[in-house]
Amino acid sequence: MTLPDARNILTAAAVVAVVLLAGCGERARPDGPVTIVFKHARMFGDDPVPRLIAAFEARHPGIRVKTEALGASSDEQHQFFVINLEGARGRGAGFDVMMLDVIWVPEFARAGWLLDLTDSLAPGELAGHFPAAAEAARWNGRVWALPWNFNVGLLYYRADLLARHGLSPPRTDAELANAVRVIQAAERDPKLDGFVWQGKQYEGLVCNALEALWASGTTLIASTGEVLPDPARAEAALARLRGWIDAGLSPAWVSAADEELTRRAFGDGRAIFLRNWFYAMDLFEEPNSPVRGKVGVAPLPRLTEGVGAPGATGGSLLGVSRGSRHPEAAVALARFLASEDAQRVLAGGSVLPTRAALYADPALVAKRPHMPAFRDLATSARPRPLTPAYLMLSTSLQPEVSAAVVGVKSPARAVADARHQLEHALSGLR
Amino acid sequence: MRRRPLAADVAVLALLTLYAVPFLWQLLTSFKPEAELLRVPPLWPSRLTLEHYGVVFAQSAMPRALANSLAVGVLTTLLGCALGVPAAYAMATLRVPGAGALMLGIVASTAFPQIATVSPLYLVMRGLGLRDTWAALVLADASFALPFVIWLMTRFMREIPRELSEAAALDGAGRWLTLLKIHLPLTAPGLASVALLTFLFAWNEFLFAFTFTATEASRTVPVALALFPGVFEVPWGDIAAASILASVPPVLIVVLLQRWLVRGLLAGSLTE
Amino acid sequence: MTGRERQDRRAAIAFVAPAVVVLAALTAGPALWIFWLSLRERLPVFGVDRLTGFGHYAFLATDARFWSAFRVTIIFTIASVALELVLGLGVALALRGQRVGRRSALSLLLLAWALPGVVTARVFEWLYYPAGGFVNVILGTPLNWLGSPTLALPALIVADVWRTMPFVALFCYARLLTIPAAVYEAAAVDGASRSATFRFVTLPLLGPVLLVTLLFRTLDALRAFDLMFVLTGGGPAGMTETLTVYAYRSLFQTLRLGFGSAIGVVVFLLVMLVAAAYLRVLRRQDATA
Repeated sequence: MTLPDARNILTAAAVVAVVLLAGCGERARPDGPVTIVFKHARMFGDDPVPRLIAAFEARHPGIRVKTEALGASSDEQHQFFVINLEGARGRGAGFDVMMLDVIWVPEFARAGWLLDLTDSLAPGELAGHFPAAAEAARWNGRVWALPWNFNVGLLYYRADLLARHGLSPPRTDAELANAVRVIQAAERDPKLDGFVWQGKQYEGLVCNALEALWASGTTLIASTGEVLPDPARAEAALARLRGWIDAGLSPAWVSAADEELTRRAFGDGRAIFLRNWFYAMDLFEEPNSPVRGKVGVAPLPRLTEGVGAPGATGGSLLGVSRGSRHPEAAVALARFLASEDAQRVLAGGSVLPTRAALYADPALVAKRPHMPAFRDLATSARPRPLTPAYLMLSTSLQPEVSAAVVGVKSPARAVADARHQLEHALSGLR
Repeated sequence: MRRRPLAADVAVLALLTLYAVPFLWQLLTSFKPEAELLRVPPLWPSRLTLEHYGVVFAQSAMPRALANSLAVGVLTTLLGCALGVPAAYAMATLRVPGAGALMLGIVASTAFPQIATVSPLYLVMRGLGLRDTWAALVLADASFALPFVIWLMTRFMREIPRELSEAAALDGAGRWLTLLKIHLPLTAPGLASVALLTFLFAWNEFLFAFTFTATEASRTVPVALALFPGVFEVPWGDIAAASILASVPPVLIVVLLQRWLVRGLLAGSLTE
Repeated sequence: MTGRERQDRRAAIAFVAPAVVVLAALTAGPALWIFWLSLRERLPVFGVDRLTGFGHYAFLATDARFWSAFRVTIIFTIASVALELVLGLGVALALRGQRVGRRSALSLLLLAWALPGVVTARVFEWLYYPAGGFVNVILGTPLNWLGSPTLALPALIVADVWRTMPFVALFCYARLLTIPAAVYEAAAVDGASRSATFRFVTLPLLGPVLLVTLLFRTLDALRAFDLMFVLTGGGPAGMTETLTVYAYRSLFQTLRLGFGSAIGVVVFLLVMLVAAAYLRVLRRQDATA
């Protein structure tokens, strides 16, 4: 081994000096790596995020990522972000990359809390994602977040029960009602409920309500900005929800049920049909699940032939805080986590990707045979209304829909009151 | 009056124990094994366990929340007394300009609904950059602690005979000295009651705490309990354990410091 | 003014000033500011901050949700306060003759009052749990107390009465202790029955205390928030949503500060009105006493 000569030593010293000085420029502290904070909610089960972070840090030696947990519920997370970002006036809220619910992007973009990512992305970078997922990332023609994981509303059914009674998966309300009646009469199990869905007064109810509105051929907000533009059809949608309970097809307790309560009921074998999201399937296929191997997936039933019944979308995106002190590093992390490779790792866990190609990936399909079916559902999925006022509208809509579901208000009354409330909420923005 | 038989006393105690059953049931639940929580009857579990307390201490935000609540409670009491006692002394012994209107305003402010002051206070805290800090809660709680302290301490201080303060004045003592050497020692029991009640109200306070805190950094016990996480099912046993922990200071105050508590409560309503 | 008086006046102001400044900033200021806020459309998330006059109030006048919340608030207040008074008085009378275990009795009683409202909410949530909660086990019923539109409000009222009755009981009990035995002996000598003694001796002497307690309890019931917010969240379908819950939701779910403040102003005026009415009655009582 030759001794390093003077020139090499000087060069090394110069490099060290430059690195140290560059570190000094970052903050008052002279240590090198840039630290960015990634706020996200913990994932169910085996959390693949730490592995991804480690891979990212290996690829970007100058960046260190600190992860911080968000609260459990979407509302809690939203309150956290609003309180910390609103009024912070670009002082930086202490985090750089944040996990956003699909419904927040227009709101946060409008409020100026998100960094415009349009120019940081390669052309066509969003093309690999499902259209409904990519739509949620855009607002006003710009891209504000990157789709990260995906959920779509769909119908789960007990394939074994349907097969036993010679029924095929229902495509319309009438077929679903018939299936429930036939199976319940034959099984004679008082604990077997028909069709369970989320009727509790919270955001999940609005997802169910939106799906009902779409199936009735109307929507929540027209392109003109009018709220519930077709009251008659909206009434039909609410009547449909209440009708399931009135007809005994759904048990009364759905009016207080959320995703987990209904998932457990179905997963314990106590329901024939379930409206829920993609994520539930993994839990049904767990080794000690009573319904393992017995669950089928199908699109949501149609109200009338000729009118589609798309599922609503859920999931999350990755946004970069506008007040971030290290925007390039933060954007790099977001793009990394949303990339195909990272989403493939996530899909290996319990989180479903937003990239269509992964739903045909042989390794993933081998583990989850229902992925191709999910892919079809995802392609026809529909995002919830993409407006900055969405949360305002949803929180004003929830009590009205809940009143109709519980039977305290007639669907007509509920629609009238909802229009009144939502109009007033929107008027504040005009 | 005819002396009441012992049996009646025992009956009353039994009835009151029944009255406390909701709390006692929560206490029992906190020691019940997870598997037996919903297997009732029998009401009594086969064994008692600390597993729920373990979860609460190891995995929840409660330990941090307990510390936050303690800090906020103590600081609110200190602030309330530091500002309120001198004010009460002045109202009781000196001629404060506009004292009548001031006292009326102070008493009236105890009737202000929190829901009415919370939105302006939110803007204040936001403007001061105090969201998610102890300071925000201490200031917000001071809005009801301070009137309360002033109102009650003025009452207590008025009970001290004028001659004592006049004698002190003749001896050349300034107003501060008179407050410290005469009025405070004489109203110490009253002050203890007032401080106790202030701490209790601050500990129990929910609306302001829920609004002005955003993370575990400043969340107090009521907020942590309200937001107690349940990813899948509601963890009744863990929630019960957390509820019991949240109740420790109130229970201690009721059982051990009952005399001061009662005196403080009754002082606020003397109709004389 | 003498030198001493001037000194005293300066001292008085100095002693009172810090408290007054803090109070002005934290209570008087906000109390005025909320009226101003209620006349504006203030949406911080959207950067909206403009005058809207009485628009929010005009909307509330025709808002079904507002009137429902108003109705729930009134029903809750009247039912809760009435039950507290009757039960509290009963407990006070029962405690009056207590010789053994007085401190324990008061401890058991005051426990319910001293607990944080959130703890009470969690306690009753567990008691009311349909599939194995204490209430359904003891009563043998499968009722969904908090999920039923007809049972939820009564269930809430029971929880509220549980935690507020001790306050009434304590006050009545304290007053009862001050009634000298001689009064009752005189009534006994006159041959008064127990119920007559109660109606014509005890009750009149309790009158002022009952009135003051009624005032405190009514104001507290009108302003109540933590119990209903955590126990039911105002559900199901708004059956337990009081004005405070409606206001809070409007304010902080999506930061509609102008609109939410308008509801807050309504609560404020309601409370002040009730307080003023009570005080007038109290003053008349004092005048005739």
